[in-house]
Amino acid sequence: MIRSKGILLAFTLAALSLQAQADMAKHAEHTSAAGIDLVTYHTEVKDVIDIVGYLPAGEAMAGTGNAALPTLMGMMLERGTRTQDQFAIARQLEEVGAEITFNVGMQSLQFDAKCLAKDLPLVMRLLAAQLRDPAFLPGEFAKVKEQFTGMLQNSTRSTEARAREALGRALYPAGHPNRRATIEEMLAAVKSATLKDLQAFHVKYYGPAHMTIALVGDVSMSASAAEVAKEFAGWSGGEDFLRTESVAAPAAPTDPILVPIPAKTSVSVLLGQRTLLRYRDPDALALRVGTAIAGRGFTGRLTTNVRDKQGLTYDIGAGLADDNLVDGMWFMDASFAPALLERGIAAGRGTLQAWWQDGVTEKELAACKQGLIGGYYVGLSTNAGVGHAIVNALQRGYELTWLDEYPRAVQALTREQVNAAISRHLTPATMVLVEAGTFLPAAAPASAPTP
Amino acid sequence: MKSRLTIAVLGLWIVGSTALQADPAVVAGYTFIKALGGIEEYRLDSNGLSVLIAPDHSAPVVTFEVTYRVGSRNEVTGTTGATHILEHMMFKGSENYSDAKGNSIKQYLERVGAQFNASTSVDRTNYFATLGREDLEGYVAIEADRMHRLLLRDSDRQPEMTVVRNEYERSKNNPESQLIEEIRATAFEALPIHHPTLGWLSDIEHVSTSKLREFYETFYWPNNSTVTVAGDVEPAAVLALIRKYYSGYPHSPAPIPDIYTQEPAQSGPRRVTVTKPGELGTVVIAHKLPNARDPDQPAVELMDAVLSSGKSSRLYHALVDSGLALSADADSQLYRDASLHLLFAELAPGATHEQIEQLLLAELEKVRTGGVTAAELSRVKQQYVAADAYRRDGTSAIASELNEWIAIGDWTMYVTFPQQISAVTAADIQRVARKYFDHSQSTTGWFVPQTVAGERAP
Repeated sequence: MIRSKGILLAFTLAALSLQAQADMAKHAEHTSAAGIDLVTYHTEVKDVIDIVGYLPAGEAMAGTGNAALPTLMGMMLERGTRTQDQFAIARQLEEVGAEITFNVGMQSLQFDAKCLAKDLPLVMRLLAAQLRDPAFLPGEFAKVKEQFTGMLQNSTRSTEARAREALGRALYPAGHPNRRATIEEMLAAVKSATLKDLQAFHVKYYGPAHMTIALVGDVSMSASAAEVAKEFAGWSGGEDFLRTESVAAPAAPTDPILVPIPAKTSVSVLLGQRTLLRYRDPDALALRVGTAIAGRGFTGRLTTNVRDKQGLTYDIGAGLADDNLVDGMWFMDASFAPALLERGIAAGRGTLQAWWQDGVTEKELAACKQGLIGGYYVGLSTNAGVGHAIVNALQRGYELTWLDEYPRAVQALTREQVNAAISRHLTPATMVLVEAGTFLPAAAPASAPTP
Repeated sequence: MKSRLTIAVLGLWIVGSTALQADPAVVAGYTFIKALGGIEEYRLDSNGLSVLIAPDHSAPVVTFEVTYRVGSRNEVTGTTGATHILEHMMFKGSENYSDAKGNSIKQYLERVGAQFNASTSVDRTNYFATLGREDLEGYVAIEADRMHRLLLRDSDRQPEMTVVRNEYERSKNNPESQLIEEIRATAFEALPIHHPTLGWLSDIEHVSTSKLREFYETFYWPNNSTVTVAGDVEPAAVLALIRKYYSGYPHSPAPIPDIYTQEPAQSGPRRVTVTKPGELGTVVIAHKLPNARDPDQPAVELMDAVLSSGKSSRLYHALVDSGLALSADADSQLYRDASLHLLFAELAPGATHEQIEQLLLAELEKVRTGGVTAAELSRVKQQYVAADAYRRDGTSAIASELNEWIAIGDWTMYVTFPQQISAVTAADIQRVARKYFDHSQSTTGWFVPQTVAGERAP
């Protein structure tokens, strides 16, 4: 019926009980083991442990060097260690039904694992070996390069991927940690990457110094800390996240950025700007809540006006992104049939303009706050939800008490604060517009329903 | 429908919890039907509404789900996609709850922070929300109202038509999904699995409001639906709540129409090719299977796990690790009337369609002629056992999987399918491989990417 909104996900942090709203931090235990920031959180889910963690080894760490290295390194983690090939590792995990996966994000190498409680020692041993001692076999490196090349080639045909690429490049200046290489640049980087480069990247960025692990479920801190201390003992190194100061946004292009992709039946649209805000900055939470009123779920203004009333799209929303560590962006995203593209964009812009100009109402704010807080607790009813809430809070620089403070912070926001944040940090008239897909000739008539 | 792996592991957990099962609730107005694996089934006497209760007190949340046994299998030429459009219209308000009154289902559920949605499949349409237990009654009231008092206005349908059309257009942006759609249409000639659940575009654009109302009045009855409640509830209390809001509705005035069409025998291999602008090709080899309840399905499920589950799998070794494919998979789309098995591979740069098709067929042939090893069988069964425990993580997962088994006609397979899995032998797997995976009964599809003149080279 409707896709889930980014803004909802951003707010879906963690907790356990609607009655235990103030107890999240009390349930968590926080310590350091082998130099790693370690959190455990015991839940009522028996026999199962979810492990979520990260270290600063994401795409941004490539800096001005080879842009493909962080992702290639993340992929190589699954290709064996110096003492065991990938199949031996897979066999051990599969025999007990355990899973370990790695994902490379903008600044983080994130890992997720799931196992029965009895298998924690095995999983921690294999996770440590994969992070510490990847094999760097030339044959595996060649395969990983081929695989990444194929994934990149496929993404050149994705309207969503190309729109995101174009907006990010327009908003973030060279040197900004959120500025990604283009797909073409990435393809060239994959081609020129060497095993020696990869090993140097691993030596520099993989280490415990800024690494975090959260274990949620049928866990105890003493057993978890003992396993982490044993498996990661003697490991050192690691770099901190990039936390550059916000700088003025570059002049936004006034013309839409068009990304033609042939034979597509739906056009992806992004409209956005830099906010110059990090997640923790003053005004950021107010802007998030205000944005939720514009672009959240079924009842946000964009969905109500552009989808429900005018029938111009299946999917429209708004959110904030890329702001955990450095200043990020605000965006509206939507998809339209080529024939309805101009009307759809106009309807979206009109809705945003009214929201920005007139602000949100008390009634909207009250409903939104209640919904966000309720959704926050519903999201905390799973181990995975709790785990991601913990690591997100820590990465954003909060203490674990934030898990209890978040609902109160949302509840305390006033209409004036929300509207001030919207008008202070956003300017719809100068936002960058990106359209990716197949476009009709300019003269083609639009067939649209009567609103 | 989701993969059987997911369904099976959920069932295992439920099996494990049977020892804790309490006596069934005695609530006036209900007949207790059965209990299995910690789940209790009741029938509301006044109208035949089925109710499944799966208590789970690990968190103070509850998932409430209504499954209507109507899907795209109930559509014919001219009305394809109607079930899905009706699903959209179910959010447009009912007599007592609407946007105009300020108390519509979306307004209520977003205000209480629920995770909610709806979906349509070949065999069913479902509506569901996960929310705090104290907010449940408000949702039940609205959900019940739209079962019988939907507004279904033409003024709502008109703008919604382009919303659905855009959903269709978005699906067409992906050549792989278009390939699967064309394979289904080629493999099935008579059964309604032939047409996409979203419908053909011309039907989406022209179906009338009166036709949607006909669907609503034919299929949206208590005796054609099942309510599933999973989470922090006491059975007696939640049964009373459901009775309060649903018992006033009558049984359908006419029997729910049945499907009597059967798929004719396939007389030889079939092929389909999708050619569109793109970068890398895809090969899919499909075979028809019996309905989802067939006792051969667990053996097919384990065959698929041997072929494609994890790095120890055969397809990973033969296609992915060899650098010929970016991914490879074996899975089934399980339905009430018949099912479709898919062998899938996404070509790596430099690989050819012919090469990948031959490799997929060769792996299938190895199972047909050589079977699977005891070690392979042990591995994939063990994976089920562990995944069982993982599925305790959230009430929405429990309700969602139950919903799929309800749709195919027997919710108890949520519990019994894992038991069948544990009994599968290597001989069973070889037998089903020989029985269903004959080349003469296959439908092979290629996505062949087309280079467009003048495009920038990636």
